[in-house]
Amino acid sequence: MKYLDEYRDPQLARTLVARIKEESSRPWVMMEVCGGQTHTIVRQGIGEALSGSVEMIHGPGCPVCVTPLEQIDRALHLASRPEVIFTSFGDMLRVPGSECDLQQIRARGGEVRVVYSPLDALELARNNPDREVVFFAVGFETTAPANAMAVWRARELGVENFSVLVSHVTVPPAMVAILESPDNRVQAFLAAGHVCTVMGWTEYLPLAERYRVPIVVTGFEPLDILEGILMAVRQLESGRYEVENQYVRSVTRQGNLPAQDLVSRVFHLVDRQWRGIGMIPSSGLGLREPFAAHDAERKFALEGITADEPSVCRAGDVLRGRIKPNECGAFGKACTPERPLGAPMVSSEGACAAYYNFKRFPAPDPRAADVAAARAL
Amino acid sequence: MSGKALAVGPACPVPAQDVERVQLGHGSGGKLSRQLLRDRFLPRFSNPALDLLGDGAVLPATGSSRLAMSTDTFVVRPLEFPGGNIGTLAVHGTLNDVAMMGARPMALSAGFVLEEGLPLDLLDRILDAMAEAARQAGVDLVAGDTKVVERGKADGLYISTTGLGLIADGFTPSPQAAEVGDVVLVSGPIGCHGVTILATRGDIGFEVETESDTASLHPLVERLRKSCGDAVHVLRDPTRGGVASALNEIAEASDIGVELDGIEKAVPAPVQGACEMLGLDPLYVANEGILVAFIAASAADQALAVLQGHPLGREARIIGRAVDRHPGMVVARTGLGGTRIVDLLPGAQLPRIC
Amino acid sequence: MCLGIPGRIVSLSDGGGLLMGMVDFGGVRREVCFAYLDGQVEVGDYAVVHVGFAISRVDEEEARRTYEALKEMSELDELDWMREVAETGLGPLKERPA
Repeated sequence: MKYLDEYRDPQLARTLVARIKEESSRPWVMMEVCGGQTHTIVRQGIGEALSGSVEMIHGPGCPVCVTPLEQIDRALHLASRPEVIFTSFGDMLRVPGSECDLQQIRARGGEVRVVYSPLDALELARNNPDREVVFFAVGFETTAPANAMAVWRARELGVENFSVLVSHVTVPPAMVAILESPDNRVQAFLAAGHVCTVMGWTEYLPLAERYRVPIVVTGFEPLDILEGILMAVRQLESGRYEVENQYVRSVTRQGNLPAQDLVSRVFHLVDRQWRGIGMIPSSGLGLREPFAAHDAERKFALEGITADEPSVCRAGDVLRGRIKPNECGAFGKACTPERPLGAPMVSSEGACAAYYNFKRFPAPDPRAADVAAARAL
Repeated sequence: MSGKALAVGPACPVPAQDVERVQLGHGSGGKLSRQLLRDRFLPRFSNPALDLLGDGAVLPATGSSRLAMSTDTFVVRPLEFPGGNIGTLAVHGTLNDVAMMGARPMALSAGFVLEEGLPLDLLDRILDAMAEAARQAGVDLVAGDTKVVERGKADGLYISTTGLGLIADGFTPSPQAAEVGDVVLVSGPIGCHGVTILATRGDIGFEVETESDTASLHPLVERLRKSCGDAVHVLRDPTRGGVASALNEIAEASDIGVELDGIEKAVPAPVQGACEMLGLDPLYVANEGILVAFIAASAADQALAVLQGHPLGREARIIGRAVDRHPGMVVARTGLGGTRIVDLLPGAQLPRIC
Repeated sequence: MCLGIPGRIVSLSDGGGLLMGMVDFGGVRREVCFAYLDGQVEVGDYAVVHVGFAISRVDEEEARRTYEALKEMSELDELDWMREVAETGLGPLKERPA
């Protein structure tokens, strides 16, 4: 596929790996903020290939991982109500709440449907006027314009049986929370290319300046990520701390202005709880007053549903890079990919799930294999 | 409407510690399916033929010959899709399981659960397709049964089929028989069936120019048997759970590791497109008309050539090999020379945004 | 967090006040909302699509430039390696970069 396959060229990728290793005078610690980038890094073995030169810490950038337990419990409550068709991106179906997950609710008779787009959920509401259709509006800045549009259209078209359970978060406050953490190890960030596609990159300028940390806006394919890492290494090696844009084919300085405009009409900044990290001020989006009729929390009076995260799960410390997953007491015992306690065990790219797999896998040193292959030539 | 009357006390509104229930994921061919089988079925029915967990069972018959028997149940929504319908699947699926045991399919039985209200012309189309598929495979449907259930109870219709085949000459590939050094082949492009079904279902609203690959695989097996004989160690049709799940089962059963290299070349563009768009991994997408074979390295080229000489195997290719490292695990080599684990999924693959 | 895939715009049309369009992803077609790129795209352009919304037009010129720069880097490394092998003659075989 155009714009995908060429950025997966293994030959070019190996060149970039060699460059990164050559130009790193010492091991650097970087964080990719976005779960999509984590996906590529894990799938392509980029961490493995760069070991000794660059350590990648997987950031909190996945709505699955950071949606607080309370919102999950509220979703489970809504999904189990007989009048409700609960709609969600597939990502959220296996995320454990206090007692169960959405798939188990479905097994108990709740109607839960996976949708590809929030507009599909709106369409479902229009086609089922006798039911209440609730959409689980999770995501970062990238997804906010889509969810904003669904709400905007619902009001415009008078679709009264459509509402959203909002758990939107924004990236820069989370980066600040990580940088402010006393045991922060992150020396440079790969910023999320699609968040910046919507938001542009100027909001990262004060961050780079204040914390003296290089930030490289980066795409999602292997070559994008490796080039982003190389750009960050070059900044670190030369003592610079700037905002650079690797993902120029999609990201502009100012971002997508019409999208930002509608997001700001529908949503406003609110304090949000991040799973495993806690409350971060002004780090999330909530619906503005004119859209209250489409706010599931108000419509179904969900304020009473609260939850505390299980104390045994140390997802927060994992997400902040404080401990490795296997240093958590529940790891591999009370918490496995089949029965996850915390969100990083849910998705196969979650830090805990990835560790769980590698723990069982005595990997041969791939470089040794390559050297042997070269000798055999 | 208002939810104010509702008492919101406990964190999770559904009854806590409810009895465990079957989830859709239990039918996905992943870890949940395996647990269901191991925890609830095998302990109750354990016997030598069943415990091998092949696509079916091998049973003694007269003389040196043996019978292969397999059974499968077909539930698919929608009932008709590009490339076939539930009837074609019900014939091919079961006959392929028989063929994967090295047997020549001989006979088929079918049980039908029909839902009240099913249009008879739809039933006719399904039966026509079934009859045609059986005829092409050279197998008669020799016994059958029909039941009707109330409207709303059976998604139109379900079909359960059982196939019998004859193993004549000791050609018995089995999931336990993979050996270190074996070459892993796949007989055609992967993911076409699953992606076609997903598109036809319409829930996600996309169109794709693929057809289900549903086909009877016995002709390919016959070619492999004739040309490679005992060098054919394992045959498997990677249906539910896709190529990845089938390879995991073989790796575990044979206690070998599997290392994939270049498997992405077996993914046709539309399947890649759909998987990119929805965040799915084509290795876990269902197939109904390809087989995975573990062949002794010395016979691999021969096997590849005979597969490619048949229309069903034109796009056959080598996708990896069996190794002594990491027994029981499947890994894929990445473009960077590293490896990633291709594990069984816990449950069904779901479209993701992240 | 954000799966966004580039696809080719096949058609654009009005969908009840919203600019909608059909996008082709390597043989897969899906209807996509173009409200956020209204006036900025034409049929034949590539757009990055996330959850059914086009969020950017792929800048073909920039894409080409990025890729060419990477290729150039790779070719230079290849040349370096060949030169080194030539200079060291039959010395110990070095691991080939790339």
